[in-house]
Amino acid sequence: MKETLSFVLNGSPVDVLAAPTETLLDLLREQLGVTGPKRGCDEGDCGTCTVLLDGQPVRSCLTIALTVAGKEITTVEGLADGRKLHPLQKAFHERGAFQCGFCTPGMLMSAKALLDGNPNPTRREIVDHMSGNLCRCGSYEEVIEAIQAVANGEYKE
Amino acid sequence: MTEYVGMSMPRYDGVGQATGRTKYVDDFVLPGMVYVKVLRSPVHKGVIRHLDLSAAENTPGVVGVLSAEDVPGVNLYGAGGDQPVFTPEHIRYKGELIAAVVGVDEDTAMEGVEKIDIQIEEQTPVFDMFEAMKPDAPLVRPDSESNLWEYEPGQTTRVMYIGDVEEGFAQAEHIVEGRYQTGEQDHAPLEPHASVAYLDEAERLAIHTVSQCLYFQLGQLAAIFGLPMSKIRYIGGTVGGGFGGKNHIHADHVAGIAALKFGRPVKYRETRREDLQYSTKRGVFILDYKTGVRDDGTLVANHIKLWHDSGAYGGFSPYGGEKCSMFASGPYHIPNIRTEAQTILTNKAGSSSMRGFTIMNGQFPMEMQLHKIAEETGIDPWELRFINAWRDGDKGVSRYTVRGAGAIEAMKKAADLAGIELPEHLLAMDSRTPPPQRGEAADVVD
Amino acid sequence: MKDVRYFAPTEMAEATQLLARYGDGAAVLAGGTDLVPQLNYYERHPEAIVFIGNLNLGYVKEDDSKLVIGAGTTLAELLASDLVVAHFGILADAISELGTVAIRTTATIGGNIANASPAADTVPPLLVMDADLVLVGPDGERTVALQDFFTGPGETILDTGELISEIHVPLLNGGTSFKKVGMRKAQSCAIAAVAVRIEMDGDTCTDARVALGSMAPTPLRCTTAEDLLKGETLDADLVARCAEAAVGQTKPIDDQRASAWYRIKAGKALIAKALSEAAGLGM
Ligand code: FES
Ligand code: FES
Repeated sequence: MKETLSFVLNGSPVDVLAAPTETLLDLLREQLGVTGPKRGCDEGDCGTCTVLLDGQPVRSCLTIALTVAGKEITTVEGLADGRKLHPLQKAFHERGAFQCGFCTPGMLMSAKALLDGNPNPTRREIVDHMSGNLCRCGSYEEVIEAIQAVANGEYKE
Repeated sequence: MTEYVGMSMPRYDGVGQATGRTKYVDDFVLPGMVYVKVLRSPVHKGVIRHLDLSAAENTPGVVGVLSAEDVPGVNLYGAGGDQPVFTPEHIRYKGELIAAVVGVDEDTAMEGVEKIDIQIEEQTPVFDMFEAMKPDAPLVRPDSESNLWEYEPGQTTRVMYIGDVEEGFAQAEHIVEGRYQTGEQDHAPLEPHASVAYLDEAERLAIHTVSQCLYFQLGQLAAIFGLPMSKIRYIGGTVGGGFGGKNHIHADHVAGIAALKFGRPVKYRETRREDLQYSTKRGVFILDYKTGVRDDGTLVANHIKLWHDSGAYGGFSPYGGEKCSMFASGPYHIPNIRTEAQTILTNKAGSSSMRGFTIMNGQFPMEMQLHKIAEETGIDPWELRFINAWRDGDKGVSRYTVRGAGAIEAMKKAADLAGIELPEHLLAMDSRTPPPQRGEAADVVD
Repeated sequence: MKDVRYFAPTEMAEATQLLARYGDGAAVLAGGTDLVPQLNYYERHPEAIVFIGNLNLGYVKEDDSKLVIGAGTTLAELLASDLVVAHFGILADAISELGTVAIRTTATIGGNIANASPAADTVPPLLVMDADLVLVGPDGERTVALQDFFTGPGETILDTGELISEIHVPLLNGGTSFKKVGMRKAQSCAIAAVAVRIEMDGDTCTDARVALGSMAPTPLRCTTAEDLLKGETLDADLVARCAEAAVGQTKPIDDQRASAWYRIKAGKALIAKALSEAAGLGM
């Protein structure tokens, strides 16, 4: 039985009906057309569905939509300010931190959570933090360098 | 323009990926779209004795069902032209498609799938190539006499040769033998197989595909749908990783048939588990080598027998056996080579192309052979490779003439990167200049 | 699938009543990291989902020489807790190798225990600390030793309607160590995991606990190894005999992650390493 659900998505309030087994990923992609977060595995392993829940990274494929009532969700769509890219987006783009790009929305959100909590991470900390985001194209090195470059202030807002 | 060569440029479409605006196939959500879930075989081998889809069809929210009889054109596809979209009767591998249910959402379609009434007579499967070649082995293709692929009618071994290996072995002071095997592997692109199909404003069947090779597949799809190619709009280009796994049709056929039958936009996507368990894989190779070499390290003969596990259907595997034969002697000049390739069907998901398709499966064993030869002859492994490396003008087993050879230059670069100092006489070599002792490759007359 | 009900009670009594009412048809949702894949893949068809994330079960307190951990505390919260890091380092060690950041943000310690996976990484550390569980049901509360909680893979002594509300961890003495081997460091289920706690008087072991994960149908206390240690002088030979005895008590399986043969080999090596480390032996 569907229930009403209100939460804040990328800064705007959203009111929807969600089924009890519907995940946040289903809700975002199929109901709301927010297709930035991708479905790579639907069981928490790949990380491409990563979004921020009250600023913390979570797997939207493992999050039952109804549990986010009253919370704030940020997806990759909420990163840029209009046409002005977030420094991480700029760094990923300019440094080629992806090939197919399917992992990128999740990578960006994990990276944002990292830098929000730890603006000057060591390489080791970046690697540890990003270890849950798989990139089958193997862009890991460029991802790490892009995050490091943003932390070093090379990509100002 | 040449000022850009060698420069690292930001991607022209990179902002799309970095903002999440790039549309991958599964990102298309169309008004009135319906969803597919499939019934797959729970057994590795068997015969469908009974299939009743009515309970699925009558499930509230189910738009309809599909099985073999709903294929409008030919119920066969794949590079081998032997794989049914939905198997009508015989099951060749666990996970083979039997039927599909189309519903207003995936949960509903799945509810329908769970209600399908099916009875399968299970049979003994065979998974191992050598088991499958035994005379009394279970037959993967019930209408055949053996599990060997026929390259030509009655011909189950693809032979290639240049020179005469027996003559070559007669000149050799050392014979080195070995058996090598490479395993199965999944491509595991981050984007699973998915397809979105609908009838466009001109009544053409539009399909958003994850295909890596639209023009391998368009003809196959036209045959499946019974449509001329002009009636199919095959839209691709944005692929979330493929690595060779998206050279085979995994979802477009089912989505297309459903869109044609029900006249609604259709989405069919494999789950990660379906993708991992049942999609095509890099297939197993087993290779037996016998290599003849002179005391001075000159390779004079290479006899290779190879077996390639095709899985349940032909796919690209027969070609893979041929391609592997071509590359299994490595980038080395050997005047006498004979390869014998066989492709074997087993009750596993089909094999398909994957990165460096069938090439490394032959190059890895050849390098192992060189390793053993270096030990056996006491010749330095670098030396051994340099003196035998292809030069322009050499010929490989399929008798093509090598142009633009680069093994020597690649090895010099590798040595440099690894901090290894090569002796002067090796550094003096290059791929453009043939060594004096290496005459014209024997002209071959069949 | 369609008629599933959803509840997000804010009172424990309401939660246990709902669980009692729906019985086997109820699915308890905490962090969701184990349950939701089962839903996504149609492996479970619950009648009701009871979300217990609004029960205020997320806390770590020091109380009367024990740590009191709310069952709804997330792994990320435990890792960030000064109390846990100061008093229960091996739990922090185990958690830092469990899942990945985004999993730890939502996964709870109660969920890790209640799922009764033989590979639950938080359990061996809790076992060597002689942890107790507080279970709350419609008829009240009971405290059980963690060691008696598991009855098989995915099976526990939880009655219908019962939930884990708290975990009590006595602040015991002794050196401790946690070791795990998986397919990779991040986000991988243990192939074998070991926790040990050892109390020493000079060279002599006065008390010891050895617990294993992924080596039997349930997380396991290796009492044979513990008995070998007590009252003995610890040296390389004893460590090796203990490791041997401990794996002798296990029943590892072959699965896609590792063979039983490998689990035994790896388990033995991990036990020896963990014992040496916990006892401060330079081995
Ligand atoms: S889709 Fe959520 S982790 Fe892979
Ligand atoms: S860029 Fe393709 S998966 Fe990361």
